[in-house]
Amino acid sequence: MATQAHSLSYAGCNFLRQRLVLSTLSGRPVKIRKIRARDDNPGLRDFEASFIRLLDKITNGSRIEINQTGTTLYYQPGLLYGGSVEHDCSVLRSIGYYLESLLCLAPFMKHPLRIVLRGVTNDQTDPSVDVLKATALPLLKQFGIDGESFELKIVRRGMPPGGGGEVFFSCPVRKVLKPIQLTDPGKIKRIRGMAYSVRVSPQMANRIVDSARSILNKFIPDIYIYTDHMKGVNSGKSPGFGLSLVAETTNGTFLSAELASNPPGQGTAVLPEDLGRNCARLLLEEIYRGGCVDSTNQSLALLLMTLGQQDVSKVLLGPLSPYTIEFLRHLKSFFQIMFKIETRPCGEELKGGDKVLMTCVGIGFSNLSKTLK
Amino acid sequence: KAAGEGSKAGLSDSLNPEKSLTMKKAILTTSDSGHCTAEEAFASEDESEESSSLSTEGEDSENEEVTRKKIPESSQVVSGQKLGLENLINETSDVEDLLREEESYKEENKFPTETSGALKWKEDLSRKAAEAFLRQQQATPNLRKLIYGTVTEDNE
Repeated sequence: MATQAHSLSYAGCNFLRQRLVLSTLSGRPVKIRKIRARDDNPGLRDFEASFIRLLDKITNGSRIEINQTGTTLYYQPGLLYGGSVEHDCSVLRSIGYYLESLLCLAPFMKHPLRIVLRGVTNDQTDPSVDVLKATALPLLKQFGIDGESFELKIVRRGMPPGGGGEVFFSCPVRKVLKPIQLTDPGKIKRIRGMAYSVRVSPQMANRIVDSARSILNKFIPDIYIYTDHMKGVNSGKSPGFGLSLVAETTNGTFLSAELASNPPGQGTAVLPEDLGRNCARLLLEEIYRGGCVDSTNQSLALLLMTLGQQDVSKVLLGPLSPYTIEFLRHLKSFFQIMFKIETRPCGEELKGGDKVLMTCVGIGFSNLSKTLK
Repeated sequence: KAAGEGSKAGLSDSLNPEKSLTMKKAILTTSDSGHCTAEEAFASEDESEESSSLSTEGEDSENEEVTRKKIPESSQVVSGQKLGLENLINETSDVEDLLREEESYKEENKFPTETSGALKWKEDLSRKAAEAFLRQQQATPNLRKLIYGTVTEDNE
């Protein structure tokens, strides 16, 4: 990690998190130019600045240089340190935005990461904390990251624009990751969900559950959707409601979908019935796409496969998302890893959309910063 | 019925040269040693067409070769190479044609006209397989190439 490799340079504000995370893991400095250079409001946004501050908190010895206008960023990564950290996330993006990157970095810390994140727990753009808890944590467990201290807890819920939510995340460290062989997703055995409402009538959550069940009940009997109505100081600063659904398969694959209500004052008011139905349809769409990893966690799975032991890892994915495709390109430039990509057309047995079988040999990345005990 | 069969045979014959032509093209493209120019490729194509049309008349093809030899070439070495290649191709194509004729002949003998409908799927299995493979290759996008760009082409 401390080796001085020549830096990679990029232009534009896209995929900032990917680049900084991969830079931290590979130890290669990055230089990003032209960040919204032609924009009326040029440079890094608040949420990106907050993300960089978070990286600075969990690493030791990082060098970050940002020019006057914020259009150029130079990042020389330090060692991943971890430990107990607190961070106030920007309310422009949800905690999921920060948590996605932390999930990539946390297994490789020197000390186990215990972090409190404050901000927006559920919004309409990023994967919510509920979904990450239900899908990303089981995925990490497949790679051998497990233990009592591995948890993600929603202490307070916060909806945009006010925020006020709080999340606790702790993750054990591992020296090496196990290779995975996930080629058979199995069949859907149960659907779980979480309908939440804050600072609105608790009846909203029940209405969401009823409408979502009206669609899902036709397919499978084992459905349970929890309602979560947080009150008082735990309900954040803004009203809102939403639903996240997770389908579990017989082979331990989790496929998820979610929807949240419009923030007050933005767009038209959403009926909880519509939200429930649409979310159920989104889950059906996700099941149609299928694969052993759902579309929000594709890149996380590919990263952990890359960083695994020098052994073959295989994973069957649904159609690759644009984010994943760019991530594959970044993996190539940072780690010189190219995946073997085979398309699996949907045959008699494999129902749903076309699948992609991704195969790679891990680079044998080991956590050098972990202390021996 | 016999007339129909005859026409069929004629059709298949007329189809065969085309196939052999494409095959020869494939052979040429694969067997090029790196210094094959576009000019050369064109010449050999012409040659193969002529040879296929004149394969029945041996004398004419010989004459052709003689006249070809007389045509002044820019470099002797290249023409020599080309001639060697042409001869080789001619031989192989002749052999292939013979083989093909034999095959079709055998098939007709084996499966009389009464049962030909029932066993139609058995005809040209290898060709069907090849077509299905090519169709599959063209239908499914090469994701690796789409994702990693042209770099993979150089590697593979």
